[in-house]
Amino acid sequence: MATVNPSLDNTHDDAAERSPLVLGLDYAGVTDTVCKIWEDEKMPKIWWMTLGVALSLLAILGACVGHLIMKGVGVWGNNNPAYWGWPIVNFVFWVGIGHAGTLISAILFLFRQNWRTSINRAAEAMTIFAVMCAGLFPGVHIGRVWAFYWLFPVPTEHLAMWPNFRSPLLWDVFAVSTYATVSVLFWYMGMVPDIATFRDRCKSRIGKFIYGLLSLGWTGSARGWHRYEIAYTILAALATPLVLSVHTIVSFDFAVSQVPGWHTTIFPPYFVAGAIFSGFAMVVTLLVPVRKIYGLEQLITLRHLENMNKIIMATGMMVGTAYGIEFFIAWYSGVPWEGFAFYNRAFGNYWWAYWIMVTCNVVIPQVFWIKWCRTTPWFMVIICIFVNIGMWFERFVITITSLCRDFNPSSWAYFHPTWIDLLMLIGSFGLFFTMFSLFCRFLPVIAIAEVKGVMPREHADHH
Amino acid sequence: MHNTRPAKITSPITSLNEGYVRTIPLALIVGAIGIGVSLVLCGFQSKPFLYNYLVAFCFVLSISLGCLFFVTIMHLTRAGWSATVRRVAELYAMCTFPLFLLFLPILLTVISGTDTVYSWNVEGYTIHADAETKADILANAPLPPLEQLKGAFLNKWFFTGRIVAYFLIWGGMAFFFLKNSLAQDVSGDKKLTARNQAFSAPFMILFAATIVFASFDIEMSLSPLWFSTMFPVYFFAGAFLSALCTIMLTCLWLQRTGRVTDEITIEHYHDLGKLMQGFVIFWGYIAFSQFLLIWYANIPEETFWYDLRINQPGWKGLSLILLVGHLFIPFFLLMGRGLRRNRILLTISAVFILCMHWVDHYWLVMPHLNPHGDHTFQLSGTGFLTGISCLVGMIAIYIALFCLVTRNRPLVPLQDPRLGEALNHEVH
Amino acid sequence: MAEENQTNTNEDSKLVGLLAQFDDPDSLVAACNNAREAGYTKTDAYSPFPVHGIDPALGIKRSILPFIVLSIALGAVCIGLGMQWYTNTDSGTISPAFPGYPFKISGKPYFSLPANIPVTFEVIVLSSAFAAFFGMWILNKLPMLSNPLHRISRFKRATNDKFFLMIEEADEKFDRSSTEAQLNQWGAVAIDECRQDLTDNVLPSWFRLVALMGALMLLIPPVVIFRSMGMTNRAPRLHFMPDMDWQEKSKTQTVAPTMVDGENLFLDMRAMRAPVEGSVAWDHLNADTEMHQGIKRDYKAVTSVSTKTGSALTSLTTGQEDDAAAPAEEDLSKYVTAFPVGIEVNAELLARGQNRFNIYCSVCHGYSGNGDGLVNQRAVALAGTGKATWTAAKSLHDPIVKDPAQNPLGRLFDTISNGRSMMGPYKSQISVEDRWAIVAYVKALQETGIKPPGSEVSPAAKTPADEAPEADDSAIPKPTP
Repeated sequence: MATVNPSLDNTHDDAAERSPLVLGLDYAGVTDTVCKIWEDEKMPKIWWMTLGVALSLLAILGACVGHLIMKGVGVWGNNNPAYWGWPIVNFVFWVGIGHAGTLISAILFLFRQNWRTSINRAAEAMTIFAVMCAGLFPGVHIGRVWAFYWLFPVPTEHLAMWPNFRSPLLWDVFAVSTYATVSVLFWYMGMVPDIATFRDRCKSRIGKFIYGLLSLGWTGSARGWHRYEIAYTILAALATPLVLSVHTIVSFDFAVSQVPGWHTTIFPPYFVAGAIFSGFAMVVTLLVPVRKIYGLEQLITLRHLENMNKIIMATGMMVGTAYGIEFFIAWYSGVPWEGFAFYNRAFGNYWWAYWIMVTCNVVIPQVFWIKWCRTTPWFMVIICIFVNIGMWFERFVITITSLCRDFNPSSWAYFHPTWIDLLMLIGSFGLFFTMFSLFCRFLPVIAIAEVKGVMPREHADHH
Repeated sequence: MHNTRPAKITSPITSLNEGYVRTIPLALIVGAIGIGVSLVLCGFQSKPFLYNYLVAFCFVLSISLGCLFFVTIMHLTRAGWSATVRRVAELYAMCTFPLFLLFLPILLTVISGTDTVYSWNVEGYTIHADAETKADILANAPLPPLEQLKGAFLNKWFFTGRIVAYFLIWGGMAFFFLKNSLAQDVSGDKKLTARNQAFSAPFMILFAATIVFASFDIEMSLSPLWFSTMFPVYFFAGAFLSALCTIMLTCLWLQRTGRVTDEITIEHYHDLGKLMQGFVIFWGYIAFSQFLLIWYANIPEETFWYDLRINQPGWKGLSLILLVGHLFIPFFLLMGRGLRRNRILLTISAVFILCMHWVDHYWLVMPHLNPHGDHTFQLSGTGFLTGISCLVGMIAIYIALFCLVTRNRPLVPLQDPRLGEALNHEVH
Repeated sequence: MAEENQTNTNEDSKLVGLLAQFDDPDSLVAACNNAREAGYTKTDAYSPFPVHGIDPALGIKRSILPFIVLSIALGAVCIGLGMQWYTNTDSGTISPAFPGYPFKISGKPYFSLPANIPVTFEVIVLSSAFAAFFGMWILNKLPMLSNPLHRISRFKRATNDKFFLMIEEADEKFDRSSTEAQLNQWGAVAIDECRQDLTDNVLPSWFRLVALMGALMLLIPPVVIFRSMGMTNRAPRLHFMPDMDWQEKSKTQTVAPTMVDGENLFLDMRAMRAPVEGSVAWDHLNADTEMHQGIKRDYKAVTSVSTKTGSALTSLTTGQEDDAAAPAEEDLSKYVTAFPVGIEVNAELLARGQNRFNIYCSVCHGYSGNGDGLVNQRAVALAGTGKATWTAAKSLHDPIVKDPAQNPLGRLFDTISNGRSMMGPYKSQISVEDRWAIVAYVKALQETGIKPPGSEVSPAAKTPADEAPEADDSAIPKPTP
């Protein structure tokens, strides 16, 4: 493992040459660094602590879901007129987070942003776990979870009924399940060469068996790589419109209706930008500790983090622009209900939620204009947590304020979440972090083969 | 093994090389003829002519704006591959400033207080003046007079002020990029690239803010009742797509005439082709989302805009042509590596998309020519001929502007620090 | 200088090819170029990541995978659209066993293309992704868990940092020693023989049995599911949401629950409470038929009070069905011809009647009672275009309606209460007194001398034949779904 004087700051901009994406590591060095995480007999204490906390939160989630299934969805705070309460807020929140992974893997791949290689694996894993969390909420919201298959066009004689394909909620079923499936395919396919690396380094028999099975006998043959790269490109080309479509369809849930504040044509791109925004914030939140704990600073460099922060800032401003356009058009349209809906958002009884959203999503990310802020790991984590809080409140503001102040003043009300609402939100983080901790332990956290592919070839000569 | 090309420009000619001296008068004559013919075809009536003029103007304006976006985003993402094609985009972006002169005929109708182009520009305009169809539904809509609602925004002085501001901002940004880039040709100073990159972020914000309101002002306010938050994105998608086509066509032409030789390779065309396909899809996505949301909710205040375009026989045909021609045909024309690396096919696709881009603006603007129902002129052969001759004239003037902006300036950046990356660019 | 990795080079194993190791990607590409130029065709290179430029060096042709994906995607368009068309528009014409289920949502057509695009798109993406994913593995002949290459210890670094070129024994130009010499010449760092162990081809003896057992075990869940679907079961069902199945309430005719202190909730131990002294059941105050039904008190006919209520309920739920039969046997003499006791016709009552009439009746019958209400006008216009079916609202100035013999006061009251023909019942919306007020107001309207529509055109055209009871009864219309 030849380590050539690792200067860990590669954020300096020089137009004439590209900053290196891998700092002071050769091919074997990359393999060793990544495999060390999994080869270590002892996991770091912090990993056990994270897993412990996550598991206890997961247990809370399990208890809540069980309670909900036994008692019915009445245990939530959803009630007239806000029949879409926290569960849909949590759903949109998690689906949004689940967009960064595929974005990094697919869109940045198509745009040949090579810096994506160090972070795409973890981001894709995060995507899948976030989609799991997201699927949970509408999944249990259907009430009778054992009849979930009614959501799909299953020909059953006793039911003699089909889903209504004109409903955006059904589009959601198709979009989210397609997204989950394609993300898993994409993630797994990207992982096969790296699992083959694990297989070839594994000492234990069980490990050899499992990783041997999972790597499908991958040899790294040139013909294999040829087809693999084509398939990867096709999947990326498919995943790109898919990732747009998923949050677009989530936005259709709201925007096809006539509820003031929901029916806005900018919703599709605005939701997608918001999803990327929150997703990247979550990636940064996860990767900063991961790179610190596992010593991946040479692979996930400051430049990677800086780039992500720039994207966070850019998408944050897109979201901010959309807020602005919405307000302008609410006035310009001259429709009194639209105007009221937006006035009410900012100055109505949910003003606090609105201003939390604006502060966290638009104001706070502006600190990333300053270089120190976007290259200082601990600081950016704080900012990114704020972004995620803000994005949760964005969905809260959209869902709750519009529902609680609809056309009919007699049904106006104030939404009250219950303990179950709160515990399920917290518990979903338990599910998320449990999965992510296990992923870090047993699977390659960084796309080893892809990182090697973007390294300059001269590195191989450093032996 | 790796034949890395040196980061040096090897073309014998990299400028228009006095060609522009001959081109400018020729283009201006063609422009005058084109616009003259369209005036004759619409019988010297100011309203139909100005509407066609507006369509053609939006066509060239959107190309320049798309090019400005291209330059900004390339600096923002520190792109290296595009260094050799960026100059063409910079030059087109620089054309935005003189384009203001071409907007004057329309601006004058606003300043003189007539509603020749913008129906909101007279006192006391109401919903009834705006309702193209289903006037009975809208007449009962419980809304105060439009002027009362939107007068604060849609009035002639504020409008004029905004238009001037847009062109100043666009021209300023384009000038900044071009000036630094040209200075670099001489000095080779890397700091100029760094400066362009540093300014690209705030410029992007300015660009977003201006294009949002410019699209509202120039095209959406033709139907003052109608509103859609998606409209700027729709405008932008078409603009960037047409800019990519224009950059590609210009580069192909420059190579064909030997002004630029191997600085621009098939790899660049391949990448531009990919971007074109991407933005064909993006345009389709935005167009479909906007349509679906309005169609689905079916709210009278906004649905009439599509009702006119989807349910009126002639406009219905044009909408279908847009769907097939602006989305499906280019999508399949640009699909696949082989197709994207074929210069002839790329030329055909680019020209075709540009034609569709004109149809798109025709479809956006022309239904509002006579809101009270009689659409025979816009949908007749004469109507289209008027538009096409006006477009030809406008393009000719635009070419003259391009030559005027370009003069003898180099057509590729001579000393860009990322030149080596661009010259050795390969699509994997 | 072949470094023999395998110790056994006897007839148990077969030579597959020679594997040369290189230390960096550039020398691998160079060696591949050399091998191709030397005429080798059955070659392959192995590397930890895709090496740029190796495809032309090895002469690899472009894969057909994109075309497979494209064809699957085009098929998915048909499947996606077909599925939505079938399930949302077809009502059993194609497959009576699994008919579709057409129903209207927000006025959209059953098959409305814009609304069907999103799902179609997802179906396309999903099937294309499957095609790309599985197509790639199939074309690559993976999974193949046993590969002689994996027996070469040096090859383990093919997934780490080393690069390999394999020239297969099956190649025409392959020659053990000269190929090895060539590989050395091209800069191979090390050369291994790749041998396939022929004895390994036999599966372990226990494998078949275990595999068979496993396959059988996998069958158990579907068998259990199918069995439970096709059989009845006496075991109590699973109770999710127990508070729905066992609600905390007492049913009728049961013992009241026992309290914590052992006492019964009620002294009489009954769960049901007797009605409070003097309470009257709903509908039991309607004994005065003149007031509440417009039927003479002394009228004794087959129609008892209870069946009358029943028929009203039926007409509520099923609409016109019993109306068609009822008028034929209608006995007009049963209706009262004067206002019942308690209804005093005065200016106040008429004002009230006008007020109620304008709210409830005028929408169809018009403010003047001439059948020109807004709803009626709109519906008649729609019916003209074939978008709805509609029976025009009756003019209250029609001679039949005016005629006290054919429409005594009680019958008017009955019409308002229970509806007539297409007109719906208003019993539940309008109180008894108000209905009588409307009757009074209608009678007053009829005295105004307004001409019914059409009467000017052919006043003498009406013959008694036209005035059949059916025509008589088409009062306020209702759209047929």
